[in-house]
Amino acid sequence: MSVAHPSGARPSLWPAAAGRVLAGAVLLGAVALLPWLTGADPARTVLRARSADQNPTAADLAAVREQLGLDEGPFAHLTRWLGGLPRGDAGVSWVSGEPVMPQVGTALSVSLTLMLGALAVTALVAALVCARTVFLGSRRRLRRDRAGATAAVLAALPKFLLASVLATVCGVWWGWFPSSGWEGPRSMVLPSLALGIPSGAMLGGLLDQALPAAFHEPWARTAYAVGLPPGHIARDALRRTLPGMLPQLLPTVVALVGGAVAVEKIFDIPGLGRLALEAAVAQDLPVLQTATLALVLLGVGAGILVRALRHALLGRPLRDGALPALHRPPLAAPRSLRWIIAVCSVALLALVTAGLLRDPLQVDTAARLLPPSLGHPLGTDALGRDLLARLGHGALRTAGVALAVTAVSAVTGLLLGMAPRASAGPTEVVSTLPAVLTGLLIAGVTGPSVWGAACAVCVVGWSPYAAQTAALLEQERASGHIAASVALGAGRLHLLRRHLLPAVLPALLRNALLRLPTTVLVLASLGFLGLGEQPPTPEWGRLLSENQPYAELAPWTVLGPAAALVALSVVAVTGSALGRGKGE
Amino acid sequence: MRTTPRGLIAALALTPLLAGCFAPGDSGGTGAGAGSGGRLRVALAVPPVQALSPYSNDATVLSKLSVAEGLTALDKNGTAKPALAKSWKQDDDTTWTFELRKAEFQDGTRLTAQSVVNALDHAGQARPKPRVLSDVTLTAKAEDADTVTLTTKSPDPVLPLRLASPALAVLSAKAYAEDGAVSPVGTGTGPFRITRLSGKTKAALDRFDGYWGGKAKAPGIDVSWVADGTARANALRSGEADIAEWIPTAQAKLLDNDTRHEVPSVRTDSLVLNTGGGLFTDAGLRAAAREAVDGSALVDSVFGGYADPAQGLFGPAVPWAAGKRVEVTGRAEAATTAQVKAETKGRTLRLATYTNRAELPEAATVLQQQLEKAGFTVKQDVREYTQMEADLLAGKYDALVFSRVTLLDTGDAVDYLASDFAGEGVYNIAGLKDTAVDKAIRTAAAERDTQRRQEKIMRAEAAILRTDAVVPLVHEQAVQGIATGVEGVILDPRERSLVDVDTRVG
Repeated sequence: MSVAHPSGARPSLWPAAAGRVLAGAVLLGAVALLPWLTGADPARTVLRARSADQNPTAADLAAVREQLGLDEGPFAHLTRWLGGLPRGDAGVSWVSGEPVMPQVGTALSVSLTLMLGALAVTALVAALVCARTVFLGSRRRLRRDRAGATAAVLAALPKFLLASVLATVCGVWWGWFPSSGWEGPRSMVLPSLALGIPSGAMLGGLLDQALPAAFHEPWARTAYAVGLPPGHIARDALRRTLPGMLPQLLPTVVALVGGAVAVEKIFDIPGLGRLALEAAVAQDLPVLQTATLALVLLGVGAGILVRALRHALLGRPLRDGALPALHRPPLAAPRSLRWIIAVCSVALLALVTAGLLRDPLQVDTAARLLPPSLGHPLGTDALGRDLLARLGHGALRTAGVALAVTAVSAVTGLLLGMAPRASAGPTEVVSTLPAVLTGLLIAGVTGPSVWGAACAVCVVGWSPYAAQTAALLEQERASGHIAASVALGAGRLHLLRRHLLPAVLPALLRNALLRLPTTVLVLASLGFLGLGEQPPTPEWGRLLSENQPYAELAPWTVLGPAAALVALSVVAVTGSALGRGKGE
Repeated sequence: MRTTPRGLIAALALTPLLAGCFAPGDSGGTGAGAGSGGRLRVALAVPPVQALSPYSNDATVLSKLSVAEGLTALDKNGTAKPALAKSWKQDDDTTWTFELRKAEFQDGTRLTAQSVVNALDHAGQARPKPRVLSDVTLTAKAEDADTVTLTTKSPDPVLPLRLASPALAVLSAKAYAEDGAVSPVGTGTGPFRITRLSGKTKAALDRFDGYWGGKAKAPGIDVSWVADGTARANALRSGEADIAEWIPTAQAKLLDNDTRHEVPSVRTDSLVLNTGGGLFTDAGLRAAAREAVDGSALVDSVFGGYADPAQGLFGPAVPWAAGKRVEVTGRAEAATTAQVKAETKGRTLRLATYTNRAELPEAATVLQQQLEKAGFTVKQDVREYTQMEADLLAGKYDALVFSRVTLLDTGDAVDYLASDFAGEGVYNIAGLKDTAVDKAIRTAAAERDTQRRQEKIMRAEAAILRTDAVVPLVHEQAVQGIATGVEGVILDPRERSLVDVDTRVG
């Protein structure tokens, strides 16, 4: 851990660069060794990908093995692949036999375009979420805290569900935009919305929490007193708070390049996420390695860009240690807060109690897709199972696992974020990595397991928290009171306990709680690898994904689980706001 | 505050630059307005894996869109009819003579006996071997310009059926590259010529005016591959596609009645019991499982009505099966619930299935309840197919809900029985080693007369069902979405034909 002593000397760039190279190399090495680590024969998966109904005879498998040169072992392959890269040659796909570079290049450009669309929507939604705080704050009328319920609701919307609804409503019913395909800017609109709305709400929620502190600083008071226009004050407040939030763009928006598989499928977009997933399942290593490399480079590139942007925004104060720390003013908790918490908690509690009294596994094929009624208050699913029962029985498991995973990820992120120079590389590399990749590795090594999904998500889930911790600590260390404490002889532990952690923890907690619903969904998305609880165990993420095909035919099958997820998220986020209000 | 706008401007400037990155080669089309001038817009389900090579999964695309043809084709009843060969005769057990018709390749060259020999030689040398040639060695020889003699190593009664396989399509010499790659782009003989293939997303086909069977009614086809079933249904419903194949049963109800066409499929879903190890080595328990499982409960629920209750291994898509079915006798007696409970004490039944077909996990859950009623303790294992294939073949499970195509490339059923149920079968997931079954399959394989071969196949089916190694559940139906006004789409149970000369937008 490096507790910075404010000094004018620029820190060396070498540790960070070495960290990036090392993290990237470890990841690529793991991918190149995938079949050998997991013991799954690539000949079998490649043959299956080429020809679904082919009998895997020994002769055919041997033929594929010989074609691919599998007997040479992983290192010969890796060396050849690396050797070709400087020439722009990434080898040929094991499945199709076609050059890899054009495939990955096309998919990457498609995904980047989509990501930029999502980024625009994200910015818009984030702006809307913070609009009230910015408006009131710049006019010095900010008296009450916000519950953050709107942001929590939007951030909890499952992206694939949003995508399904948008495709059906705006694509099929109204015909405003193409329901699928990738044929021009019009095809971008719906997927960008599906990806951008939850991300925007998440980032907006974080920003919204940081803004009051900026408006509370002396300069804002002075500016208001001398009659500077509110727009000016708002701009400066944003400039003060944005740098703390910018690193979150990496795991939230840039990660969509490789991690938007579900949305890419629904809209039939030939993006990098789908390409990488297909290659991973077929163990088509040249494609998988190149796609991973692209994601690593993208993560590092975006990380460096974000860093530059932050330094440009904060500028000299950050370097010179002349940055006052951001501290929230005591704001009264909003009146609505208690009501929102009460209503959501009671609803959740009632749901769980009522659900626990029913049988979640009872299949009744005659009672298929029944709408809500007295007998089935939330309706039934495609197999005639009572949705209330499934929600109730799944609640504890879902919330428990998601909270545990979030807690582990947040603590890991916090610890790594405290060593920012060493962890910058891994953070950037991991932030764009889809959980499916680690899931595949874990599934291959351990076989199907209940804890595999949680492990896989933990392995990649810490990066948002590490990025956040690093960014906030950097700012905090550059503030005057730290210098004063150091001058007064404060030790590292004291600094950490009394100054650094208190500055980081509230924002970190908010971030973690806003990400809770995403964690639930990511955990469920690994089910196809045999990770996590096997069906028919009820679990909220699974309820959403297994009922997604029926979203239009029987909307209640997804509305129930989605509403429960939203309620959980609202309780968590507003609860933390209430705790904050009490704490101060 | 100076930097943000600059950054923003940079980001905005990047957008149009990247906006050029939509699906490659689409500059010709005018967005959603494609499909004008009577061109058919077809949404297919399985994206090409090997650039439409006939030796891969992609082969069916060539026959579905009438791009390439073989010497023969299959008619509605599954018998061989002339295609590039106008007639054939069997000279002796292993020798056949085919007379070619006058036809032209799409690259302008003529179809000759030599081009047929060339095509069949390449298919024979392809590694891995195309499935259709897995159990036969074929030698082709050009007798004169339009006569080809085919010799098989051992007698092959179904050779004409075999030749209808899209893997044995005859392409012009230009199609076969030195490195073994095969490209059907502009090299087939069918009424439609591929003009452009854009990766795994799109292809454009134009009418081939030199087709021997007359000019196609549609001027061309725009193909898009849409892997997600809901997206395919959406494309049809929003008018972005004229034909969308394989609508998932969950989406079928959302289609208008007149756009929804179901066709019995040669796919049978069954519960395969592992006779090689674990619980189901006990014939009494297998019989109990067979009694407990009721496939007809799946038809209206999981399959939404788009399936038929199982009659046996072969369903209504195999037209000769029903008339020749042999009653299954001499089955083991089912253990009662109490016996099942006593015998399985402390052991769980590992019920496996895979996520690749959306209906299977749902079916597994229904079956789980049925089996639990009969006294079993069931635990599911549901994964992506490639993730579990090795485990399945190693017998690391007790029961598998399995969806299998029963008539393979040959149009003949023996291959399926031999690979899945014979003791030496490479796909013998049931781990079945039964001398009576092996003998029945061998007898059927040796029979040359079509009628008697079918009878023997049905006798083998009865022998297999007698062991309770497999419990047929349902025969699937495929739902094809066809927009109103589109005429002449072929509803083929073998999933090999879709568009031909007569298909057109009305």
